[in-house]
Amino acid sequence: MTSVRASAAMDRSYKLMLLPASLAVGIFAVAPLVGMFVLSFTDFHLIRGWSGKIGLQNFLRLAGDARFLSSIYVMAALSFFGVVAQVVIGTAIAVGLDRIVKSWRFARGIFVIPFAVPHIAVALIWLSLFTPTLSPITAFFATFGIEVPAMLTSQTGAIAAIVIADTWATTPFVMLIVLAALQGISPDLDEAAAMDGATRIRSFFLITLPLLYPTLLMVALFRFIETLKHFPLIFVMTSGGPGRATQATNYYAYVQTFQSSNVAYGAAIAVFLFIFAGIISFYIARSNARLSDA
Amino acid sequence: MRDQSISFRVKRGIGIAMMLALLAFSLLPILWTLILALRPATHLFEPIWSSPTALTLDNIASIARSDFPRALLNSFITAGASTLLALLLGVPGAFALSKRRFSGKFMASWLLLLLRMAPPVGFVIPLFLFYVQAGLIDTHIGLIFAYTSLTLPFVVWSMWTSFNQIPNELVEAGLMDGASLWQVLRLIVLPAARPGLVAAGVLSFLLAWNDFFFALVITRSSTTTAPVAIMNFVSYASVDWGAIAVAAIALTLPTVPIIIIANKYIVQSLGGAVKG
Amino acid sequence: MFTKRRTVLAAALMLGTALAGPGAFAQQTEVDVLLFSMPSTLGLQKLAPDFEAETGIKTNIEVVGQDVFESRITLSFTGGTGDIDVVHTPAIQVQRWVEAGWLAPLTQTLSGMPDRDDIIPATLDSFKVGDDHWGIPFFAETGLLAYRKDLLEAAGKQPPTTWEEMLDVAAAIHSPDTAGVVMRAAPGQGFNMFVFPMIMRAYGGEFFADYPDDLTPTFNSPETLSALDVYIKLLGEYGPNGVSSFNFPEVVAAMQAGQAAMTVDGTSIVSQAVDPQKSRFADQIELALPPAGPAERAPALAVHGLGVSASAKDPEAAAKFVAWATSKETMTKLALNEAYPDFTRASIAEDPAVKEKYAGIQADFLDLRIAALQEARSDYRPLLPTWPELGAAMGENVNAALNGMMEPQEALDAANEEMGYILGQ
Repeated sequence: MTSVRASAAMDRSYKLMLLPASLAVGIFAVAPLVGMFVLSFTDFHLIRGWSGKIGLQNFLRLAGDARFLSSIYVMAALSFFGVVAQVVIGTAIAVGLDRIVKSWRFARGIFVIPFAVPHIAVALIWLSLFTPTLSPITAFFATFGIEVPAMLTSQTGAIAAIVIADTWATTPFVMLIVLAALQGISPDLDEAAAMDGATRIRSFFLITLPLLYPTLLMVALFRFIETLKHFPLIFVMTSGGPGRATQATNYYAYVQTFQSSNVAYGAAIAVFLFIFAGIISFYIARSNARLSDA
Repeated sequence: MRDQSISFRVKRGIGIAMMLALLAFSLLPILWTLILALRPATHLFEPIWSSPTALTLDNIASIARSDFPRALLNSFITAGASTLLALLLGVPGAFALSKRRFSGKFMASWLLLLLRMAPPVGFVIPLFLFYVQAGLIDTHIGLIFAYTSLTLPFVVWSMWTSFNQIPNELVEAGLMDGASLWQVLRLIVLPAARPGLVAAGVLSFLLAWNDFFFALVITRSSTTTAPVAIMNFVSYASVDWGAIAVAAIALTLPTVPIIIIANKYIVQSLGGAVKG
Repeated sequence: MFTKRRTVLAAALMLGTALAGPGAFAQQTEVDVLLFSMPSTLGLQKLAPDFEAETGIKTNIEVVGQDVFESRITLSFTGGTGDIDVVHTPAIQVQRWVEAGWLAPLTQTLSGMPDRDDIIPATLDSFKVGDDHWGIPFFAETGLLAYRKDLLEAAGKQPPTTWEEMLDVAAAIHSPDTAGVVMRAAPGQGFNMFVFPMIMRAYGGEFFADYPDDLTPTFNSPETLSALDVYIKLLGEYGPNGVSSFNFPEVVAAMQAGQAAMTVDGTSIVSQAVDPQKSRFADQIELALPPAGPAERAPALAVHGLGVSASAKDPEAAAKFVAWATSKETMTKLALNEAYPDFTRASIAEDPAVKEKYAGIQADFLDLRIAALQEARSDYRPLLPTWPELGAAMGENVNAALNGMMEPQEALDAANEEMGYILGQ
């Protein structure tokens, strides 16, 4: 998209329009971030304070910290499976609403409800669902003599539990965006393909899905960044356990900052996450720029 | 021309079954929360089918008597005010970003995204100290500003995409008629971008409404918000599940009508954004 | 992009605030109190008007959830905000807070209290660092055993007095409907590391070579290994499905719903199992002293007190509030109004009205509690500034062993090594 040509007076107006937003963003969003970077180069400790030392020591320590490295593995698993589940299910719901059950007008509202439940409550609700002695799921299957295995006592199970709770809460976001994109794609395209002999399902995969690809990519990247910041679900559902098996990187930063009082080291972990997310967001911004400037 | 063969009906049946299963996945945990909200402490986790009549309104009554309603009000005030502030500051900014010719557009959009990336754990202590210096701890205004740091980048980002879909000719025609840029924005562009405006407003309201972290850091007794107040039911030796369930429902209920009403607009505006 | 000057400014701002402290607050006699939620603190909030009437000092008592409390207190203390005058002070945090300079000493207040000898000495000692007292106790809970007498009787078993017997009883009563035993297992210094030391000490295990003089970690001793084996066997063979991720809410719920027959936990947990308002098996559950082992009986101990923040606006008024809240009169009222058998003054147990109230739970309930308190060691969880980190390191490894992710010996070795690292830092 090209821009409207501007005179000098208009340019002033434009600058005036940008100024308040830039100032507000600068003061309230950027300042604490600068603080985070500064902290990461110090040795600030909640109890011992700051010795005056400034340097790269925190980042050097990161490189050799086994707990940090394994936290990246946990984070990668949570993000990968979470994003895949959310995108697949969100797309399935959107396609279903748009193509299969068009008459279910009420359903869209129902599918969105979990999105409105605050994360702390999501964590507590799913904790009760995954605790065998509390869960109605266990009780239901027990009436048929089937024992539902405990999820939170193994690494695989606990990661799956967090992914399921996260998927429940955030799939509606994916669904809304995919639904929006789908409504811009005419079902006639599929029907035309169907007339050419392709089955409806085949034509969906051949025609609609490729058209959805840019949207799916963007949504996936957005969700990916959010999953890097997992906290309430881990904190409430597993306390990082079993053992340390669900201490994802962001949670580990919390452990270092608040439990071990190593604020500066916690900040360094956060800086690592921020830079990592920055690289991802670079790709989102670029793909978005392509989409809107195309 | 509809294909009515058996194979089509089977496939459609599978599709409907899938949708019903997904609906159950979305809805059953909500139903479970409703049941918990209505259960007395002695039957809390008992399967509902083995004691379907053991129900009580005590949990609701005890929430109504607690500080929770005030926290809910605080949530409304701060999320609402921050959304308004973000729209007020962000809409002109987004308009300028969309329509003004300049080279840093890509950097600006990246920066806006970056601001949503920072892990709160890293900047909480600087943020807190900054707020202490500014005297903003435990004030509505302080929390509104903090939420604006969440909502403003979001509003700018999404209104920017909305404005990109408004043809430049519309702006140029307005300018040709002698209107100022501000008048063009207010009288021509905004009405045309209404779905985007509603969508940005609603989603940014939800962003602030669901926040736990900023409220935890910035608020004290007088401005606690509802998500933090929920955690007050997790006490030293017990978890008040019934109260938590009621609180979760109380916190979800007000947003459901908002989402349902705004749904159409959200889909319209996002649809436009995605089409580009 | 940001100029260098701006970065320096931000740094100065950030690191300077810690020194700047309060100062600009209004000078009226008002005491801000931050407590975390438990029956006694909620009760204290209700009694606050009495204090205001007595002294003319206005109080603003905020009671929040424990997790909310912990984040807030850390931030407020770090920022020196002066928005907290009186603070809920768990004994396990005292050393850390004193080292950071966050608390003001209460030695004078304590010596000014007319009946200070009434305070149970072990609880008072928990708040002593150096020559000063940094908090006055108002809550002390200890470990107790809760068991279903109907199930034990049916199996012809006596309530266990040792962990060995506990294994035997658990095996006899364990059934698909009712697990033999339930205990906290989730990793954390206040979660599994609140109950595990009861077994560890019973088998003669110690955290350190000679606390507090020689802090060489000895968490991987053969004694601690036998204790860990007992813990794993109890929960692994006779615990309910999924027990190895349980925290206190799940333990409470399992006892209340009759899904488990025995537990060993703090007073505030077991007393919920015998509360007829919440528990359907209240009248079948009996309380007893926690099991002992070859070495000793080592009931858990958690002591909480009230401290005065170093940045209190009016330290004298704050100290007055602490003295009032921990006085015999206030504590007696609390014991009568709330579920508060955890008072820290010995004489309250002699009060006829208090005696009658708690005899309702079980005739010898208060005596049991006092007996357990007398056996409890004030260093049940060692009082060190680094305890939160040490406890986490042990708790996480113990939990890993419980879940079969590590061999017991391997887990204890790992924990021991981490403890050495934390203490050497």
